[in-house]
Amino acid sequence: MAAPAVLDTLQPVELAEGVEIRLRVAGPLQRIGAYLIDLLIRVALFIVLTILYSISGIALGGQVVTGLVLLTWFVIDWFYPVFFEAGKHGATPGKRMVGLRVVQISGTPITIGQSVVRNFMRFIDGLPMFNYIVGLASCFATRRFQRLGDLAAGTVVVYQRVPPQPGVPAPPPIRAMAPPVGLSGAEVRALSSFRDRSGLWPEARRIEIADQARALSGAAGAEGASRLMAMAHWLRGQSGGGT
Amino acid sequence: MTPGEFERKNAARWAEYEALLAASRKKGGARDPRVTELPRRFREICLDLSLAEARMYGGLLIERLNALVIRGYERLYRTRRGGMERFVRFLTTGFPQAVRRDWKLFWLCNAAFWVPFLLLMVSESRDMRWIQSVLGPEGMANMESMYASREGQADHLRAEYGSNFMMFCFYIWNNVAIDFRIFAGGILAGLGTMFFLLFNGVYIGGAAGYANHACDPVAFWSFVSGHSSFELIGMVIAGMAGMRIGLAILRPGRLPRTRALVAAARDSLPLLYGAALLTTLAAAVEGFWSAQPVEPMVKYVVGIIGWLLHAVYFLFAGRGD
Repeated sequence: MAAPAVLDTLQPVELAEGVEIRLRVAGPLQRIGAYLIDLLIRVALFIVLTILYSISGIALGGQVVTGLVLLTWFVIDWFYPVFFEAGKHGATPGKRMVGLRVVQISGTPITIGQSVVRNFMRFIDGLPMFNYIVGLASCFATRRFQRLGDLAAGTVVVYQRVPPQPGVPAPPPIRAMAPPVGLSGAEVRALSSFRDRSGLWPEARRIEIADQARALSGAAGAEGASRLMAMAHWLRGQSGGGT
Repeated sequence: MTPGEFERKNAARWAEYEALLAASRKKGGARDPRVTELPRRFREICLDLSLAEARMYGGLLIERLNALVIRGYERLYRTRRGGMERFVRFLTTGFPQAVRRDWKLFWLCNAAFWVPFLLLMVSESRDMRWIQSVLGPEGMANMESMYASREGQADHLRAEYGSNFMMFCFYIWNNVAIDFRIFAGGILAGLGTMFFLLFNGVYIGGAAGYANHACDPVAFWSFVSGHSSFELIGMVIAGMAGMRIGLAILRPGRLPRTRALVAAARDSLPLLYGAALLTTLAAAVEGFWSAQPVEPMVKYVVGIIGWLLHAVYFLFAGRGD
C-alpha cells in the first residue's frame, strides 16, 4: 500500500510536547484564488480612499491630495499583506475567505519579520510583470509549495480549516472480521479511511478501490469491498492499548 | 479500549479545552483566571493525540485531535511584540551594530554604487555620449527643467500650497520602494540587488555629470546635498540586506541552503528596517528642506553635517553594549 504522504499534502511536524501534528499545505490554485480576492479588495480600498481624499481635497488642496494618494498606494502596495499576515489570523482577508493561513514551517504563527520577508519578495516572485511565473515555478519545485518569499521567510501556507466532508454515513457494518495478517500502522490507517470515506462513493467506485487491496481481502468485487469493511469494523472494535 | 470508548471517556475534557481556547481569544481573555489552565490542558490533548496515533485509531478521531492540538499550539506559541522600548533599542544599538557586523558587505555595496557613479560623473569632461545615452532625451530634458538655474528650482516645483508634502509622499512612494526592491532582488543570488545598485550608480552619476555640464551645478548640488547622506546610505544598506540573502544562497556554509536562507533573511531585517527609516528621513529632508530658498552655502554645510552625523552614528553608536 502506498504511504499516505504521497496521496495528500499533509506535512508532519513534531512539537516540543513530543507529539506530531499534520499541517495540510495549500496548493497554488487556492492561493491564486486568495490573491485575486485580495487584489479586488486592495483596488476597491484604493479607489474608495482616493474618492474620499478628492472630496476633502476642496479643503486640503490638490497637491496634498496627490501626496496622500501616493502614500496610500505605497502602503497598500507593500504593507497590506504584511499587516494582515502578521496579525491575529495569520492571513489576508482573501486567504481567510479561502480558508488558508500562513504559518512557520514548525506550525507556529509567523512573526512580523517573516511577514515582511515573504511579502516583500513578491517583487521577485511576481516576475515577470506580476504574473507570478517565478513564484509558481518555485511552488512546483518545492515539497511544501513554497514560493521564493516562503523559502526565505521559512513559512508555508496551510489550510486553516479542513473543508468539512459531507456527512454521508458509512454503510452500516454487517459483520466484523479479523484481518488474515498483522497490519502495519499505515495499513490500518488506510483501512480506517476507507471506512470513513466509503459513504461518499458510489458502489462501483468503492469496489474499484477495494480491488486494489485484493491481496488482503482475498476476493474481488463487492465481496472484497464488504470484507474490507468488516476488517475495518473489527479493527475499530479491537484496537486498544494492549493488543 | 476501542476508539468509541476513548472518545466517550475524554469528550468532556476536550470540550472544556475548546471552551478555554475560546475564552482566551475573547477580549481581556488573558486575565481570565481559568486560562492559566490552558497549557496543562494543551499537554493533555497532545498526549491524547499520541495515544490515538499509537493505538492506530485512525480516521476522523485523529483528524479532530490533530486540529485541536494545532489550535492550542497556535494560541500558546505566539511571539510577543515589543513596543516603543524595542524600537529605541534598535535605533541606539541594534541598527548600527548590524551595519558594523556586515562591514565587508557595507564596502562591497558602497563600491557597487560609487564606482559607476564616479566613472559616469567624471566621464562628462571627456565624452558626453556616455551620459547622454544613460539619461536619454527625456532624462536630460527633465534635468534641465529642474536645475537649469537656481531661481527655477524652488519656483518650478514648490510654489503651490502643499507641494512640499506632495513631494515628500512621492519620495516615500518611489525611493523607499526602491529600497524594498533592492532587498527583494537578493533572493536571485544577489543578482537583483547588484543590478539595482549598479544601475542607480550609473544613472545618478550620469545625472550629476549632466548637471555639471549643462545645468547650473550650484542648483543641483545645493538641492541634493541636504538629503544625500540619508538617501544614499539608506540605499547602500538596503543593498547590504539584499546581499546578505544572496550570499546565503551562494555560500551557505555549513547549513543546508534552505536553512541558511531563512537565517540570513532574519539577520537582514535590521538592515532593511534601518534602510527604510533612513530613506524615509531622506524623503522628509528632500520634501521640506532641499528645495527651500536658502543660501547654497548653508545647504552645503547641512549636507556635510548630515554625512558626519552618519559617520559618527555608524562608527560609535551601540559600542558600549
